[in-house]
Amino acid sequence: MKILLVEDDDAFIKVLTRALKGHHYSVDSVKDGEAGWTYGSTFDYDLMVMDIVLPKLDGISLCKRFRAEGYATPILLLTAQDSNTAKVQGLDAGADDYVVKPFDQAELLARIRALLRRSSSNPMPLLTWGDLLLNPSTCEVQYKGQNLALTGKEYELLELMLRDSQHVFCVDELLEHLWSSEDFPSEATVRSHIRRVRQKLVASGAPHDFIATLHGRGYYLKPPESSESSVSDGWVRAGTSAGMGMGKAGFSEASATQPAVSDLSNAAALDPSLAAQNQAQYLAFLNQTWKTTQPNSLEQVTELLQAIATLQTNALTPDQQTHAQQVAHKLAGTLSLFGLQKAVHLARQLEHWLGSQDALPANQVELMHPLVQELQHELQITTDIQPEQIPQGVSPQLLLIGADQEFEQALRAIATHRGVAVNPIPFQEVESASSPADVILLHFPGANAGHAATPHLSLAQSLQRLAQQYPEVPLLVVSDRLGLCDRLEVVRQGGRFLLDLATPPEQLLSIAIQALQDSRHPTKVMVVDDDLNWLGTLPTLLKPWGLKVTTLADPQEFWTVLQMVDPDVLVLDVNMPEINGFELCQILRSDPRWQKVPVLFLSELTDASSQQKAFTVGGDDYLCKPLRGGELATRILHRLQRIQAYAG
Amino acid sequence: MSIKRVLIIDDEETIQTVVQFGIKMAVGWDVLTAGSGVQGIAVAQTEQPDVILLDVMMPDMDGISTFKALQAQTATENIPVIFLTAKAQTAEKRQFSSLGVSGVITKPFNSLQLPEQISRILHWDGER
Repeated sequence: MKILLVEDDDAFIKVLTRALKGHHYSVDSVKDGEAGWTYGSTFDYDLMVMDIVLPKLDGISLCKRFRAEGYATPILLLTAQDSNTAKVQGLDAGADDYVVKPFDQAELLARIRALLRRSSSNPMPLLTWGDLLLNPSTCEVQYKGQNLALTGKEYELLELMLRDSQHVFCVDELLEHLWSSEDFPSEATVRSHIRRVRQKLVASGAPHDFIATLHGRGYYLKPPESSESSVSDGWVRAGTSAGMGMGKAGFSEASATQPAVSDLSNAAALDPSLAAQNQAQYLAFLNQTWKTTQPNSLEQVTELLQAIATLQTNALTPDQQTHAQQVAHKLAGTLSLFGLQKAVHLARQLEHWLGSQDALPANQVELMHPLVQELQHELQITTDIQPEQIPQGVSPQLLLIGADQEFEQALRAIATHRGVAVNPIPFQEVESASSPADVILLHFPGANAGHAATPHLSLAQSLQRLAQQYPEVPLLVVSDRLGLCDRLEVVRQGGRFLLDLATPPEQLLSIAIQALQDSRHPTKVMVVDDDLNWLGTLPTLLKPWGLKVTTLADPQEFWTVLQMVDPDVLVLDVNMPEINGFELCQILRSDPRWQKVPVLFLSELTDASSQQKAFTVGGDDYLCKPLRGGELATRILHRLQRIQAYAG
Repeated sequence: MSIKRVLIIDDEETIQTVVQFGIKMAVGWDVLTAGSGVQGIAVAQTEQPDVILLDVMMPDMDGISTFKALQAQTATENIPVIFLTAKAQTAEKRQFSSLGVSGVITKPFNSLQLPEQISRILHWDGER
């Protein structure tokens, strides 16, 4: 259960947050009414607790704003004013309950529980499902009378599912409810929690699909055996057999010795001599393995040479070409184990060429033949594997350019903790930078920097080089040159962020990680339009922008497809038969869950009243047809960036 | 002590061998190996590993088909799967995450660091 606390008194925030967290609520706290609005309208909360006297926007007005915008989240008002007028005002503004300071903590918690109960589909003080019993006031969970030792998140997960036991929870929903906004959990996090709760349930005798998976939809509580027939909601039930999957052994390990695992895997990290010893042994093993691998790899190179010889005289059959490509791919994979970077690079290039077009023309021979020969030579001269060749780190790599030592150390300390590897290079090497990078942070000293640090390349030049070398890698620039011209240069060269030199390393890292995650998770766009030709071209047009497109021509299917796709953004045509785009948007906004997904309207109508209407029904942007794919993509991405900036 | 069991499915024997050695040496986990998707599925069913490392590009049955087959069976649907793939294929990473894969580990990797990487992806290191 996730709670938003809007309160300006630090001491009070601290006490209340601790009490709430102690009862397994996840808490976001903000200190003024405007921030309260930003958070409450951006994230899903199960309850909002707000003070009446707040900076910027008072609690009563904030409450009114939420209600006026259609948010039904329960609101509990806190105040020092013990007068009936104040209470009446608060309740009239749309608050659900009212507590006067100073109050008894136990009473406040009880009221919170009561509010959550009222809003849940399961208004019983004790939550049960089959043989499972969860007591929210004591935070105890039992299965068939046996206590379950759950971590905080595991408890929250079960509570959430029990409170809405008929609901199928998609991963995003679970993320929204169980993690506070400053965490960066992934979908895998949710799955691993589900898995652990399942293991613990199984260990207590519950069927292994007590929490069942509905493929493509999410997780739900499977109706207990006895009442199964009474629930007929038309879902296709996934997996019914019990007893398969996780056994008891898995459970006892999972709960009791979890920290030991992490100690174990970090043992080498904590003890440098152990790490060195491990590395030495590993290197010895690699060398030994290389002895048998080398002849095999050379044989694979011979296969490539043969393929090229064939290509010189005849065309390769599709099978031969695919086979050659696979050989190159395998070579790259194997050689990378040994850190033979040059050879890996050659193999990858060959793989790329062999896969670049269907029937390879004979003139490609001239390009590929030298590469294969070079590869052969590389493999022949590699007699042993050097320690510095071993690939280091599988963590995301942050390429840090031009930072001073102090900054680098500060950043590295935090980055290590968050699983990001920092690879620093001096600014002078920006032209020749070639090390792998998942995100780049360019530290660019500006006008105020000392003479020695004055770079030999301009900001624009260095950005240009980086954009060429790392076309897909998100780039952040840190500088004291923050004027419009500099910003223009940065964005023109594809830079994502321009930040002040004074930005603390923690914040920089958070932004870098966010950029990294954005570049790894596709944005899901759902487009509803009855123009089939336009729809047909969209996936291709939007794909280069990292957008995953689902198109829908029939508005009647809207709700079903919406739930399935769970889009990050919606594009709606205005004029459609039966249900128009404005109506679709109203349908969407009628569900609290879909309050914050951005909606872009697309229409031939250019008149002001249509545009006005678009915003009135809850749209975020209005675009006029005809529109190029690129334009649409940019508008979509901008909208999402604005939302993220708002949220984060 | 919790000994995890890892199944690696990769048609390259060298990769199997090195990964097995690296993981065993780093943390002492058990590593099972399979040289094809079909063999991997059979091992996963009977051995119920804690995680599967799956090579994406394999002849006959590739990583994606293998993953789908694993997901389609009750006995294996809950086993987390991590794809092993080349660094260059960022576009594919997007596709993987939409498939429901637990994570992706890019080559080149140092097998000694695999356990740490796996633990991080699957949150075996607790609630930090």
